[in-house]
Amino acid sequence: MLKVSNITKTFSADGGDVTAVHDISLAVPDGKFVSIIGKSGSGKSTLLSLLGALDKPTSGSIEVDGQNITKLSEHALIGYRCRKIGFVFQSYNLVPNLTAIENVMLPMEFAKTSKAKRRLRAQELLDQVGLSDGKQDRKPTRLSGGEQQRVAIARALANKPKLILADEPTGNLDSQTGKMIFDLLHNLSKSESTTVIVVTHDLSIAGRTDKAFRLQDGKLVTQ
Amino acid sequence: MGLVTRGVRNAFRSGARAFSIIAILGLSIGLALAMLLAHQAVEQKINSVKSSVGNTITVSPAGVRGFEGGGNALTQTQVDKLKTIEHVSSVGESLNDRLTSTNTNLQSAVEAGDLGRRFSQNSGQTFTPPPGFSSDGQSGGNLSFTPPVTLLGTTDPTSLSSTQGGGSFSLKSGKAFDSASTDNVALVGSALATKNNLSVGSTFTAYGNIVTVVGVFDAGNTFSNNQLIMPLATVQKLSTQTGSLTGAVVNVDSISNVDSVTAQVKSVLGTTADVTSSKSQVQDSIAPLQNIASISSYSLVGAVVAGAVIVLLSMVMIVRERRREIGVIKAIGASNLKIMSQFMAEAVTLTILGAVVGIVLGVVAGNPITKMLVNNSSSSTTSQLMGAGTEEAGPQIFRSIGGGVRDNLSNIHASVGWDIILYGLGAAVLIATIGSMSASWFIAKVRPAEVMRTE
Ligand SMILES: Nc1ncnc2c1ncn2[C@@H]1O[C@H](COP(=O)(O)OP(=O)(O)OP(=O)(O)O)[C@@H](O)[C@H]1O
Ligand SMILES: [Mg+2]
Repeated sequence: MLKVSNITKTFSADGGDVTAVHDISLAVPDGKFVSIIGKSGSGKSTLLSLLGALDKPTSGSIEVDGQNITKLSEHALIGYRCRKIGFVFQSYNLVPNLTAIENVMLPMEFAKTSKAKRRLRAQELLDQVGLSDGKQDRKPTRLSGGEQQRVAIARALANKPKLILADEPTGNLDSQTGKMIFDLLHNLSKSESTTVIVVTHDLSIAGRTDKAFRLQDGKLVTQ
Repeated sequence: MGLVTRGVRNAFRSGARAFSIIAILGLSIGLALAMLLAHQAVEQKINSVKSSVGNTITVSPAGVRGFEGGGNALTQTQVDKLKTIEHVSSVGESLNDRLTSTNTNLQSAVEAGDLGRRFSQNSGQTFTPPPGFSSDGQSGGNLSFTPPVTLLGTTDPTSLSSTQGGGSFSLKSGKAFDSASTDNVALVGSALATKNNLSVGSTFTAYGNIVTVVGVFDAGNTFSNNQLIMPLATVQKLSTQTGSLTGAVVNVDSISNVDSVTAQVKSVLGTTADVTSSKSQVQDSIAPLQNIASISSYSLVGAVVAGAVIVLLSMVMIVRERRREIGVIKAIGASNLKIMSQFMAEAVTLTILGAVVGIVLGVVAGNPITKMLVNNSSSSTTSQLMGAGTEEAGPQIFRSIGGGVRDNLSNIHASVGWDIILYGLGAAVLIATIGSMSASWFIAKVRPAEVMRTE
């Protein structure tokens, strides 16, 4: 269960304070596949970074498995990001000089998984996301956008996270590839029983999720 | 794959950049090592000049230099008094003589030449002309003259002091006799040995006695190589001059005590002896060496600092370039410490390679650089020294001191030991640490939330 209570995030910018996320409360049961939609600048990415503990809210609390992550120490937060969260970004963000399989193995190294297990699991995951054997030892520059995003999804799944946070994962892809990636995330959420939160502009995608949250000027509009 | 492997691999992510960092770093570390080598070599030479030439006081009978002039020999009793003066570490005693066809079967390895004939004529001595020659007193001098063989009776057989022909004594075969020896033994100069077919175990006659050759030496100059070295006591006995000395070299424990000891030696010996110290000449000659020593240590520090700055700037540049990647790695669960270690491994890899290049450069360039520094600043010194010497006192002594110091300067040799290589690696690790520490600060500043921003 993910439980967000009254979180607000205020940035102090040059032209005065910007409240990117304004008093948002929401709850997502385990294993659900939900989307966040809203116009550009409405605070979607900011909300996602708060859920993933990449940033701390100005106020409010975020509970994951009954634990308030806004109260965690810096050290504990690293562990939280490592084991509980999987990130998928719009621009893939693979490490450029590591091969596909090494990228997938990386989070497992941080989680101190044994070396032998890392490679096996990474192979398994890449098979699961549909990256053929011959491409697993390629560097990201030699993979297409859709293939890179598959690798990124496999990397997000590496440590069996509670929560996958995807920020416009199909934003850089054509609609057909986008749909394939989306289906992949959808199926994984079912097979791995992971909670998936996807930020998207695509309303047809949002319509197919368990639930869609709409943001407007940092506030939650529809539930 | 661990973070160290990743760091090492990252070092070569951009081949061109890795190459230029390693090359520049190699140059600066190489320069640092060359400077260190130069510094060591010069310091070593300063110390050896200070302890070998600068702290000696030469005592000769008043009015005598070598075989020129005239006067009475010093006595053993006089010289024994010198040994009790404070700060005197040892006194080398010598009794020199010349062997001619009348008292030896040895033949000089040096031809008379114009100078020998002239000197001989001017000296008032006469020698029996060989068959076929008649002394006719022409301007060419004494045509029949053959230079005598110089005999050094000494308590210090392995040092050829300035009054004894100079040069650096090195045994080619055999071994030196004991300083207190009373045996009929001799060390023979290499030229003399060749001329007379002598080797270790051969014998010759001197003063009507049979003398055995125990060693052959090379002093690096023709004059010294035409000499015989025998125990002082033996020469005193054979030449019936027991208790007489023609020279003494007083070794002082430190160059700073030379003045006070010189004064005491003068007061002990009074007008019977000429006392000269080589201190002032030596200090003049060390001055440029000391300049080189300090120049090289400044350059050493400068080169290490330059290396650190190079690594620092490169690492800062690399970290800024990979800002996004660092954010991503943080987002997927790496701690600052892990990322810093990875960058440290990268910096150390580049620096170690730079150090290897640097050590090779340093070792190769160390000697030429040392030589260049020394040659550029020593030529003026040597001429100054020789000028000063001839004005002050008997030319022979100072010419040989001058020669000795000049030899010293050109003999400076930078030697490479394990310590140099360790210093090189030490400097590299120091440089890498300083360089990547600053990068760490940038790493810590990267906010993982930044990865959410699309570029
Ligand atoms: N680090 C920051 N400093 C200052 N203001 C920020 C910062 N991050 C976000 N903002 C502001 O917060 C608001 C919400 O930004 P956010 O990136 O969450 O929007 P978004 O909904 O993800 O937009 P998009 O669909 O274009 O990605 C914007 O007005 C943005 O300018
Ligand atoms: Mg966004």
